[in-house]
Amino acid sequence: MANDVYRLVYYSRNRMTGTPDDLAASIATILNTSQANNGKVGVTGALMFNSGFFGQVLEGPQAAVESVFERIQQDDRHGEVSLLAFETAPTRSFEGWSMGFVGASVPDAARYGAIVQDSGFDPTRMSGNALFETLHHLALDDEKLAAA
Amino acid sequence: MDVSRYVHDAERATRDALTGLFNRASFHQLLREKLVVAQRTGEALAVLCIDLDRFKSVNDTLGHPVGDGLLAKVGERLRSMSRETDFVARLGGDEFGILQTGGDQPLAAQAMATRLVDLIGRTYVVDGHMLNIGASVGIALAPGDSSNPEVLLKRADLALYKAKVDGRGTFRFFEGEMDARMQARRAMEINIRKAMALKELELVYQPQVHLETNAVVGFEALLRWNNAERGVVSPADFIPLAEEIGLIVPIGDWVLRTACHEAASWSQPVSIAVNLSPVQFRNAKLIESVVSALASSGLDPGRLELEITEGALLENTERVLSVLNALRAIGVRISMDDFGTGYSSLSYLQKFPFDKIKIDQSFVRGNTDDSNAIVRAVAGLGASLGIRTTAEGVETVEQLNRIRAQGCHEVQGYFTGRPMAATAAASLLNATSSH
Repeated sequence: MANDVYRLVYYSRNRMTGTPDDLAASIATILNTSQANNGKVGVTGALMFNSGFFGQVLEGPQAAVESVFERIQQDDRHGEVSLLAFETAPTRSFEGWSMGFVGASVPDAARYGAIVQDSGFDPTRMSGNALFETLHHLALDDEKLAAA
Repeated sequence: MDVSRYVHDAERATRDALTGLFNRASFHQLLREKLVVAQRTGEALAVLCIDLDRFKSVNDTLGHPVGDGLLAKVGERLRSMSRETDFVARLGGDEFGILQTGGDQPLAAQAMATRLVDLIGRTYVVDGHMLNIGASVGIALAPGDSSNPEVLLKRADLALYKAKVDGRGTFRFFEGEMDARMQARRAMEINIRKAMALKELELVYQPQVHLETNAVVGFEALLRWNNAERGVVSPADFIPLAEEIGLIVPIGDWVLRTACHEAASWSQPVSIAVNLSPVQFRNAKLIESVVSALASSGLDPGRLELEITEGALLENTERVLSVLNALRAIGVRISMDDFGTGYSSLSYLQKFPFDKIKIDQSFVRGNTDDSNAIVRAVAGLGASLGIRTTAEGVETVEQLNRIRAQGCHEVQGYFTGRPMAATAAASLLNATSSH
């Protein structure tokens, strides 16, 4: 039981304000910190984002996933956090950290391209998993809201 | 000499073991000290009292280890949002306090409370469980509200109480009128307690008349409170408070006993209807109380009608049904009171065979197409389910004729008889039985 992989999936709204470049800089910081901190405690996963939305999958030992999520909850750069899943998983879907910009906005895609290009984020790997597809849809909807 | 152990022990005495936050005693001490400093410097301070919403249900359903894990996380969140000039304490159970210094008040306190309600309300994961709780916050400011530590805390608590009354998951600043309102409430509470002892409560009885025979077939017992200072107090003014503070249980018990005794002495075996509050209905001793009232009065259980409102039926269907069935097993009858004003779930009518539906007076008095249609529909519903229907609040002969045409069985209202004293009710029965 102790070796079980737990998978937590949440979705939240971006509360950061500022110019698109500020936002890109903040997101780069978030990604770096997640990679550094989560790796130490055996938590891997994926982060999807665009100008209005964060969607994240965390995988790892239960206690580690719980404490990483708790730190995320204390962060006021996002809000309206919806926990979509918290359950045991037969295996990890993400062996490392990956992150990706998911959105239809062309300027945003160019802006965030540099941040994410080395992370190994591969949206095609996510197709077929209903939860990831849901996240993807939510992301696209929120991008429209943020642009409106 | 190594003093670190003594320093460590002294530090531990000021901390709450579970969360590592300040404990109640050290919070009071800090408050006293900071207030003295603030009085000298003229700085404004804020005290925030925080109560977790729905924490008890986490503890009850998942156990104390999960509850403790949750409290530790709440403590962590409070600490994560506080600055060096904020002092965060666990005051006990699921109560927390924050003393905010060095801020621009009241804006700083408002910003903190807003953030706090959001942060504490975010989902937690503890030992594999997803948990959702909320926070209610009350705020008092020094020197504006008081510079006395006890008074300041009390006022933050009053504001907290207001935040809870206003629906929880929110914050309120202390306002002067909260004190006055709380004092009025406390005076009312003392008076209700005295009313029991001083026998200021009395029952009056309103006749229920059969529409075909015009005979009195029963009475509804109604509670009156005649207070030396306040005069006649309407049940609407004291029953909600009595329910909130739990006094409704002994009051309800007294009503049951008194009504059963009175009815047992009547010259005709007509029914006696007694209202049950939702709070009484949820009380574990209800069945015992009914059995005891019947036994000591010698009243035939079939003559006792317990009236419950839809509010009593809202939660936990299984438990509600088991209470209804236990009452039925004693032999008493059950009426659905004020039908149409609340949830009006038809599924209850199907799950439990009520003996009577009482149609709320608002439909009887409102002579519109809609209210007429509703009365007719409920009367028809009763007829097809084999449940008697009583129209409440009939005041005029027009209303009486309409109700008769719509097919109700019985009527209760000023037109067919006002609530009357016990002696008058007994005489009314004597008069009709001698015909």
